Amino acid sequence: MTSPNLADERTSFIRFALAHKFVAFFGILMPLAIFAVFVGYPIVFTVYLSFFEWNGMAPQKTFVGLENYQYLITDKYFHTALLNNAKWVGVTLFFPVLLGLVIAYGLRSRIIPAPALIRTVIFFPVTMSLISVGLMFLLILNPLFGAFDTILRSIGLGSLVMEWFGDYRVALYTLAVVSGWAFTGMPMILYFAGLGDVPKETFDAAKIEGAGHFRMLTQVAVPQLRPVTAVVVMLTLFESLRAFDLVAVMTKGAPFGTTNVLGYLVYLESFWNSRFGYGAALSVAILVISILLAVFVMTKLMKGAFDA
Amino acid sequence: MPDAAFLMRQRSLFAFAGKLIGYTLLAVLVFIWLGPVILVIITSIKSNDAFLAGPFALPTQPTFAPYVTVWNSLGFGRLLANSFLYAACGSALAVALALVPSFALSRFDLPGKKIVFGVILTGLMLPQQTVLIPLYDTLRTLSLLDTRIGLIIVHAAYGMPAQILILRGFMTTIPREIEKAAFLEGATDFQVFWKVILPLSVPGILVGFTLNFIAIWKEFVFGLVLLNSEANFPVTVGMLKLNSDRYMAVFNLPAAGLVISQIPIVILFLLSYRKLSSGNFAGAVKG
Repeated sequence: MTSPNLADERTSFIRFALAHKFVAFFGILMPLAIFAVFVGYPIVFTVYLSFFEWNGMAPQKTFVGLENYQYLITDKYFHTALLNNAKWVGVTLFFPVLLGLVIAYGLRSRIIPAPALIRTVIFFPVTMSLISVGLMFLLILNPLFGAFDTILRSIGLGSLVMEWFGDYRVALYTLAVVSGWAFTGMPMILYFAGLGDVPKETFDAAKIEGAGHFRMLTQVAVPQLRPVTAVVVMLTLFESLRAFDLVAVMTKGAPFGTTNVLGYLVYLESFWNSRFGYGAALSVAILVISILLAVFVMTKLMKGAFDA
Repeated sequence: MPDAAFLMRQRSLFAFAGKLIGYTLLAVLVFIWLGPVILVIITSIKSNDAFLAGPFALPTQPTFAPYVTVWNSLGFGRLLANSFLYAACGSALAVALALVPSFALSRFDLPGKKIVFGVILTGLMLPQQTVLIPLYDTLRTLSLLDTRIGLIIVHAAYGMPAQILILRGFMTTIPREIEKAAFLEGATDFQVFWKVILPLSVPGILVGFTLNFIAIWKEFVFGLVLLNSEANFPVTVGMLKLNSDRYMAVFNLPAAGLVISQIPIVILFLLSYRKLSSGNFAGAVKG
């Protein structure tokens, strides 16, 4: 479809709407109106609010210009949270995505038996709320009665035992790995489905040429799975950017704000410190980062994966 | 040159080694992903004394006392009822709102299709935290803050984009011959939608509804910010209390709470996991 200029688009829409009133109203105008109220307006309001100081209750908001943004640039909590989000993305892109791919390949190539069982078991946590997952790992990683430390000690790795949530050096990674545990099922089933679509001949040909499983995975499967990878990376990035629930239930940003992520910081500043203007500025920061990431993924990775 | 018997033996040795690796991996994966769940279930049916005596031992005298205690002290009856209400009504509304847009996007060469898709994707990817403050403010203006209906509306609005993608994907797989015949007979758009597409879309609707139900059941941020009174809390927000010294002293109470919170989803999962875990809906998302 060639894209006509805006004027054409408008007249052709009116023509379409007159011919198909029902579809135009309930199919296009109604959803756009809902988006305008629940997505468009909130975004505009957030940007607007980020130039004000407001405690959330007072009828008057004080205009402060770029003050919130100036503060944001120097705010060390913001820096920590930003860095934490980056680390979180790093861990989740590496651990659940790569592991999901390898497991999917293992199941498809029949290296691992019982594919139905494995898929069910690993996909199950995807259906759990992160609050439940967080509570579960608070029990598993507990220093007194936790199973994880006990296992480490019993296999002679007791020296690795740490304060998984109390030690500022590891707490964030603990959270990210727990989120990875809960998320792995998602890339796994997407890759499993994707591998099912790769023609069997492709793998057979590689096998005849003597490719081992490693080369089969990296040189045959991965290039074929590009569209799936685009979707998985997108999902993972935005899942990581939304990281909130685990922080809220497991650490609340402790120790010393070292496990704050951007989303949690917005919540803290707005709804606990009543600095809604600054919270809005933080929201705008998240929004800008999301847009940059989305544009990057769309242009570099997707190449038409979402084409209508 | 090695004889045939040797080659055979070697081959079967390889096959055996392969099997051994396979089953080891199987065991490791099951241990990592099912182990925590089983441990929680075991812990949830122990008495305090049994837990303190051996945190990982199998319960010798299983008891449901922790379930009763945690059910009563957290008011799980109300939490579950609330979550069920939000998930069922929110998903139903999201699906209902998504039906005609999906029909429009799958069946018509819409002018401005790209704009509609762009808007849908924005709604899908928008981090919730960026709209928390305006939503809070809007709901307060409309006197919907801390009401069940307010949260249902928000869930429906944010569930709709995913539903449109899923249902549109499903509807494009419905053959066009039937509706062409209907159009030739002089049926209107609405009649084709209502009498042809809608009945044929029921499987897609069920998948979409189930996914949305699970998503709302898991959801936490909106519930946390848009609700204040405990009477309205969903399970996820109500369970936050479990992470406190009072409940974490002995693990059987939080463990029992965990199990309770997950039971409805386990039932739904068992009923539908073949559909969900096959990754079919991924095709819908990919379009």
